[in-house]
Amino acid sequence: MNGEALDFPILSMLVFMPVAGAVIITLLSKRRPEYMKLVAAVSSVATGAMSIWLTAEFNGHESGFQFVSKHSWIEQWGISWHLGVDGISLFLILLTGVLFPLAILGIDPHNDDPAKNKPYLAWLLLLEAGVMGSFMSLDLFLFFVFFEIVLVPMYFLIGGWGYEGRVQAATKFFLYTMIGSAFMLVSIMATVFIASRNGVGHVTFDLVEIAEHAEFAASTGRWLFFGFAVAFAVKVPIFPLHTWLPDAHTQAPTAGSVVLAGVMLKLGTYGLLRFGLYLFPEASLWSRHLWLSLAVIGIIYGAIAATMQKDLKRLVAYSSVAHLGFIVLGIFAVTSQSITGAVMQMVNHGVSTGALFLLVGMIYERRHTRQIADLKGIQSVAPIFAAAFMIVMLSSIGVPGLNGFVGEYLILIGSFMSARWYVVVASTGVILAALYLLWAYQRVFHGEPDEANKTFAELKLKEAAVLLPFIAVIVFAGVYPKPILERIEPAVDALITHVEDKTGYESPQPAAVATISEEGE
Amino acid sequence: MSLFLRDYLTVVWFGLAAILLAGLLLGVAAAVRPSRPSKEKLIAYESGVDPVGMGWSQSQIRYYVFALLFVIFDVEAVFIFPWATAVERYGWFGLITMLIFIVLLLDGLVYAWKRGLLRWV
Amino acid sequence: MLAQDDFFLAPGIEWFHLGPVIALVSGALVLLVVGALTPRWPRGLYAYVTALTAAVAGGLAVFNWNDITDDGVSTLVGGALAFDTFAQMITITVCAATLLVALVTDDELRRAGKDGPEVYALFLIAATGAVVMGSANDLILLFLGLETLSLALYVLAASDRERPTSQEAGIKYFVLGGFASAFFLYGIALIYGGTQSTNIGEIIGSFQTSVLLDGKDTLVLAGIALLIVGLGFKVAAVPFHMWTPDVYQGAPTNVTAFMASVGKAGAFAAMLRVLVIALPFHRDDWRPAIWVLAVLSLVIGSVLAVVQTDVKRMLAYSSISHAGFILVGVEAAGHNAGELAPGDGMPSVLTYLLLYSVLTVGSFAVVSLVARNNGGDTSLDAFKGLAQRRPTIALALTVFLLAQAGVPLTSGFIAKWGVIQAAVEEESYAIAIIAMVAAVVAAFLYLRIMVSTWLETGAESTEREAVPFSTGVAVFSAAAFTLLIGVWPGWLLDAAESVTTYAK
Repeated sequence: MNGEALDFPILSMLVFMPVAGAVIITLLSKRRPEYMKLVAAVSSVATGAMSIWLTAEFNGHESGFQFVSKHSWIEQWGISWHLGVDGISLFLILLTGVLFPLAILGIDPHNDDPAKNKPYLAWLLLLEAGVMGSFMSLDLFLFFVFFEIVLVPMYFLIGGWGYEGRVQAATKFFLYTMIGSAFMLVSIMATVFIASRNGVGHVTFDLVEIAEHAEFAASTGRWLFFGFAVAFAVKVPIFPLHTWLPDAHTQAPTAGSVVLAGVMLKLGTYGLLRFGLYLFPEASLWSRHLWLSLAVIGIIYGAIAATMQKDLKRLVAYSSVAHLGFIVLGIFAVTSQSITGAVMQMVNHGVSTGALFLLVGMIYERRHTRQIADLKGIQSVAPIFAAAFMIVMLSSIGVPGLNGFVGEYLILIGSFMSARWYVVVASTGVILAALYLLWAYQRVFHGEPDEANKTFAELKLKEAAVLLPFIAVIVFAGVYPKPILERIEPAVDALITHVEDKTGYESPQPAAVATISEEGE
Repeated sequence: MSLFLRDYLTVVWFGLAAILLAGLLLGVAAAVRPSRPSKEKLIAYESGVDPVGMGWSQSQIRYYVFALLFVIFDVEAVFIFPWATAVERYGWFGLITMLIFIVLLLDGLVYAWKRGLLRWV
Repeated sequence: MLAQDDFFLAPGIEWFHLGPVIALVSGALVLLVVGALTPRWPRGLYAYVTALTAAVAGGLAVFNWNDITDDGVSTLVGGALAFDTFAQMITITVCAATLLVALVTDDELRRAGKDGPEVYALFLIAATGAVVMGSANDLILLFLGLETLSLALYVLAASDRERPTSQEAGIKYFVLGGFASAFFLYGIALIYGGTQSTNIGEIIGSFQTSVLLDGKDTLVLAGIALLIVGLGFKVAAVPFHMWTPDVYQGAPTNVTAFMASVGKAGAFAAMLRVLVIALPFHRDDWRPAIWVLAVLSLVIGSVLAVVQTDVKRMLAYSSISHAGFILVGVEAAGHNAGELAPGDGMPSVLTYLLLYSVLTVGSFAVVSLVARNNGGDTSLDAFKGLAQRRPTIALALTVFLLAQAGVPLTSGFIAKWGVIQAAVEEESYAIAIIAMVAAVVAAFLYLRIMVSTWLETGAESTEREAVPFSTGVAVFSAAAFTLLIGVWPGWLLDAAESVTTYAK
């Protein structure tokens, strides 16, 4: 069915449901922690259910925005509450909707004082609302509001419930991201005013209107794109701007890391697609070699840095740098396959790295250390735990049959047509990924457990229940990615057509994508 | 330079002449007079009477209050005199305006009085 | 007797339109005279009379606003006062801030056993000065307003007679402020020399009707320079900011809140009146100066704020950085000053002033609560563990700080967005980017206070802060306003749009 005929404002509900949950929790009495958890569960599960329903109702053959909800917000400035979903954002919304209830229900903050849970849950729900809003916004102002507002809950989550270096990590995270946003803010305004004089005709922050009608002079467009790009490059993070990430990931509480890796980094890559490539095709293509180079550097650097980490959580954090490098590579290779792969990989990375952080969190809960050197031989005392870790890790490496493979393969094969030599270098990253993850696995799980690791507890039922959805997605998307890919493709093709129309760029004709999505079956 | 500023040239010349003259007189005096400093000569001159105590001695704060009150009412008079000479011309408007002015001042006086500022304790 | 002759034509006095000023002055007089004649009033009645006066004055300004929308702008009392939405907006800002400050002051004074009508009367007199500055259509009147405001503020800064720092603040402010006033007055004299008038309408007229001689132009330029120095001091823009940290820190906290809100609003209103409205023909001369002041204030205010350890001093420096932001709006207004389509500069400045006034009073109100609990200590350490002791107050403080940092869905974001948008619209990209980067630097400062409040635990022995009713009301309403504007700013922006039609 067509979403526009729908009178239920599902997208707005996806934003407001968590906000309502957070507000109710704030108003509840501190002495009844069980009610707080209940409210948090209800609102996040309801949001998750709505996002699943949204995915089911989504019309996969249409390339435009669906379920659009548009209301005037600040008329004087041409700002409206404009939400919509297309194939690119659909699965990110689904991922957000599903990841949050798991993080809220499955993971308890590690310094467990029921009274302190109140702000914890409220911040998590606000964070969910912010992330949802960012993925759905079709208005530059609205996007900026959501993009910026997610900093506040994340700051408090890291700062309040993180580990030893949490305050510094939180501050670093906040300031790094904010400095990127500073440039983006000016760029957004300049874009709007310049667009209103060149093609659009009136002051509006509407993304679609500006992207379709505005004609930027090449140099102007490049400056404007630069402003956006800085913000997204910090968020992704692209190689030289990544230093906030290992700290923030390592110091964040487990739920924070899961959310940070799972969905928040995607704000950057999603932004590059939606507000980079879509809004400024000329500038994006003009600067693509810079992006491709940085992406490849990120892949190699992230992998090497990960290999050398002594801290398991930091290792996973650096592996994120490498994985995000692949996604950026896919985006700026600008072929139908590579971008489809990049979108797919955003979801994959969210699932597999999220699950990895979850597992590392479980290790920390049991052993109160994250140092690889302190862990040994866990496989023999906790075989199911080890198996779960193995599956997730293999998905992260990109082994065929699991989801990571589909995304990475599509990115590499798609990029090969337009950015051949970058792919050649990037491919070594795949091997390096196998190196650092397998080596870490070997050190942590293999061998004879020493005294401290002998009592390592097996996977509990509750933990298994949290992990199961992750593993199910990992296997399902690896074996049968077709339903996902065929929903992503129309939107990506439309994006590429848009780029071609605006710039005269011709993307290399792909070998039929259908055969590739058949690949995993 | 414009005509407007040229008018001020006189002022500048006048100022320069004043500085020159004063400098000349003091300079000549300094060159001509004998210099025999003594302790008495360095004492501050207080109407021919030897000074008592330090130059930084504290004075009664009440003098200050009275000086201030005097200045306030003095200023009031300064405003009222010119108004009085043209009271017919300004008519009712002028009268009311002046009354407002006086009432405002009186308010201040009432306040000062009630707070005990007028009492000499 | 008392017949009028032909030489003098009494100006018509529009009593109702002067309502806000009359209300404020009578409030002050009632407090002073009746307060002196009667024994001590019970239970915060002084504060409530002050708050009521401010509310009535603000309400009258709203009535005036409606008259203006119906009948258009005009001048009052023979062209001495402008009757336009600009003036009403400043009046409303000043009255709102005065109301909140009065509520905060009540408890502060009573707790110290120093309750009395004087401080409140001075608040109202200062507010009158600020309102006159906002509506003056004559430079002399503007100066009168400035002095009324400043003199009251000097006394207020020194009003805590038991604390030497307060005395020091008063003296510092007085000496430097007197100096700045002299600059300002000399500037007015030179402008008068160049244009033959002090009336804003006539000043504009003199540019329109006559081709200026060189010399007169020189006088006007020198006058502008001196005016900018005087105003720069009053708004605490770098390099005229030296007094700010000491005075803000030394003055009683409620007075600091008043200075940062009403003082700033009045001074910026004067700046807009003088530069944008009276001297649009010299906009290319004064705009670069404003540009420099803005950039210096932004950078130096933010950077120095970060290295402070006392919250009041931090907020003082942050107020300098906010002044820089407002100057960005003034600069933007300078591009099209005097033209038919004047751009968004003026509305953005006035919006910023209103929103910042409420924010800053809220922040200082929380500071005063915390300080009172710690024997006057306003260092970062005093804020440690506030979230455990008083989560609601900590939350309100967080709202204010996030708003000052410019986080979305708070009024501070709308304010910043407004001035930056005005700057970008005029293609002043450099200043926009500098402003945003300075905002990030300043954000670090607000984070430091939040870290102390939320993430660090204080000494166990520290008692919970007492939150008296009136201060609680002030803090709560300021926080609610901050969030409300953040989500639903349309009506305020609508109102601010109209200030570009001004009387002259």
